[in-house]
Amino acid sequence: MVNYCEKCDKYWNQEIRTCIFCGGETRTISESVYRVLSSTKVHVPSKGNENVPYFVYLLEDKHGQKVIRKSDHHYQIGDEVNLDAAVVARYAVGVIGSGLMGTQIAEYLVQMGYPVILKTRDPGNVEGIISKIRKRLSKRLQEQEVEECLENLVITTDYADLSDVDIIIEASKEDLDVKKDVFAELSGVCKTTTIFATNSSSLSIDALAAVTDRPEQFIGLHFFNPVHRMDLIEVVVGSNTSDETKKFAINLAHDLKKQPILVKNSPGFIVNRLLLPQINEAIRLLGDGIASKEDIDSAVKLGLNHPMGPFELADFIGLDICLSILEVLHAGLGDDHFEPAPLLREMVEEGKLGYKSGEGFYTY
Amino acid sequence: MFINGIGRTKFGSLSKSLTGLVYEAMLGAIQDSPLEIQDIDVIIISNFLGGPLNGQLHLNSEVASLLPGMNIPIIRVETACASSSVALNQASYYLGKHKNIMIIGVEKMTGNTLIPPTEAIAMAGDCDLDKNNGLIFPAAYALVAACYMNQYGVDHDVLEKISYINHKNANLNPLAHFYHKEITYDMIRKSPMVSEPLNLFDCSPISDGAAVIIVSDRRYSDRDISVLSTQIATDSISLAERKDLTSFAATRVAARKAYGEAGIGPRDLSIIEVHDCFTISELVALEDLRICEPGQGAELVYNEDITLKGRIPVNTDGGLKANGHPIGATGLAQIYEIVTQLRQEAGKRQVDDPEFGLAQNIGGVGGTCGITILEG
Repeated sequence: MVNYCEKCDKYWNQEIRTCIFCGGETRTISESVYRVLSSTKVHVPSKGNENVPYFVYLLEDKHGQKVIRKSDHHYQIGDEVNLDAAVVARYAVGVIGSGLMGTQIAEYLVQMGYPVILKTRDPGNVEGIISKIRKRLSKRLQEQEVEECLENLVITTDYADLSDVDIIIEASKEDLDVKKDVFAELSGVCKTTTIFATNSSSLSIDALAAVTDRPEQFIGLHFFNPVHRMDLIEVVVGSNTSDETKKFAINLAHDLKKQPILVKNSPGFIVNRLLLPQINEAIRLLGDGIASKEDIDSAVKLGLNHPMGPFELADFIGLDICLSILEVLHAGLGDDHFEPAPLLREMVEEGKLGYKSGEGFYTY
Repeated sequence: MFINGIGRTKFGSLSKSLTGLVYEAMLGAIQDSPLEIQDIDVIIISNFLGGPLNGQLHLNSEVASLLPGMNIPIIRVETACASSSVALNQASYYLGKHKNIMIIGVEKMTGNTLIPPTEAIAMAGDCDLDKNNGLIFPAAYALVAACYMNQYGVDHDVLEKISYINHKNANLNPLAHFYHKEITYDMIRKSPMVSEPLNLFDCSPISDGAAVIIVSDRRYSDRDISVLSTQIATDSISLAERKDLTSFAATRVAARKAYGEAGIGPRDLSIIEVHDCFTISELVALEDLRICEPGQGAELVYNEDITLKGRIPVNTDGGLKANGHPIGATGLAQIYEIVTQLRQEAGKRQVDDPEFGLAQNIGGVGGTCGITILEG
């Protein structure tokens, strides 16, 4: 997109409304068809361009205006390329749940150019969700970009609006019965090709897939908080998940600029199965009076080179969530090692849930 | 040297990019000036943190992109917060060879930045001697304040009054960062401590903005304002290398030369703009510019001599405190205000019949000082 002053025959790539040469108004020209003038194949990786080799093209439109574009495709000099068509056709995504993870996943998807329909339960939530997402996007995008992102977001309270989406990412309450109800409902609503994914951090993919009409199209896509900064997605493969569904999930993760890792369905998958025992053990150390929480956090940060200590992280995750994941691990793996520390239970019962309630191991 | 065109953006947290701000201010100055953009022979652009905050250097060529086909000489000047008064000073040397010079000041500090602004601003101090010992920018001025308050036995009260007066002036300046913000003494006193004795209301804000001035070797219209003197002076960068923290030698030296060149003294001034990046700096400036004797600044403030109706109105635009402090644009914004006042175009904040105005623009903690004296 360029701005043009016809009288002075001047072009700007910047958003310029008034020509400084004549004081007249400029007009905006938007072209999508370009001709390849020149290209180079880059073999040296750099920040933001880690995957090599890639091509950089000098393109020209019919007005003689040029743009630089990066691509993985190989074009010949003189080829015509359509930049609009070159944009990957984005899938329509339905996100279930407007809690911490649901809104963040929806926010990140619209930032990456995906059309999103977010399902919430209460129509009273809609304004709050939009203003929360706008505020967070404003921290990393220009005003106009934020508005463009928000054009891709629809919020609904009606499952019927999700009938035509390509993939569902479910991020409702971390409760097997709640999630079962959601997927049973969706089975009757969504078109047959819609893929079902759950953002569950620990529940059984197979147990959830069993209530749907499409267990082979069911998969886990476990995002991490904060979604826009955490580069991992755990792709959880159930016993009936098809290879096509697996490929679809991996491609989606790559297109979202995330690193997918594959894990078979099992309690806590990889991250939580490794993390929660550590948090649990830290709480036991504290409960036994062996060290202070500050010193345990320092030990883990400085000795294990983790960015956060176990108590800081537990508060950030939410102590109720920690407890429920530990219960799943304990029940699923049967090892007493996973039995939640008594202090954790006490704190959850007292309503000390961490950062979100204002008090956990630390006060906020 | 005559100023025939001025332009600026609003200051504050703005959605425009660095080049978007530059273009808006350039267009404003060209529309204000009898000249056309094609009449400009040289452009000097002042900017402090384009590299560390925006990841953009080579700003002279960025400006060339905004003026396609002109291909004129453009250079960038950087002397921390004094960048734009020094850019204006450099223009005076070009005028022997060229007729019309445009000076641009710009800073884009909010939004996505490569490193936090506080860390970037600390680059105005000595890295080894100051910054690596925890002396971030507010801490440096806090040391100045602590020394001053101890030496002259004044308390924080006077700084609160300086903050208040600046905010009141900004309420009359629609382009100011805090134009709409209503301030009370209670808000000032209860604001969070930043670095003792300075609290939040002693500090200027992080602002985006641009200002542009066009100067020429001749007078084009009766709206032109004459530059009687532009002088710059320097001092060692680290506070550890100074004899005295209650006064800035760079200000004293540049002011002495400027008064000499202009052929006027401090008593002849109608208005002044001083570099109140922190309130204490305004107090020190009043003394270094010889508006009053050392240690007498507080009296001037309490007597309301520095208000719009006072003997010597200071920072009629709201100062850095409340007009805002987009670092690379700040010195030119001061010039913009004095030109507006001398042209009698300042609206609700217009002072009565001003004749001479002075702007003091500091880089770092007095490591650089640019002084400009204008006549209406």
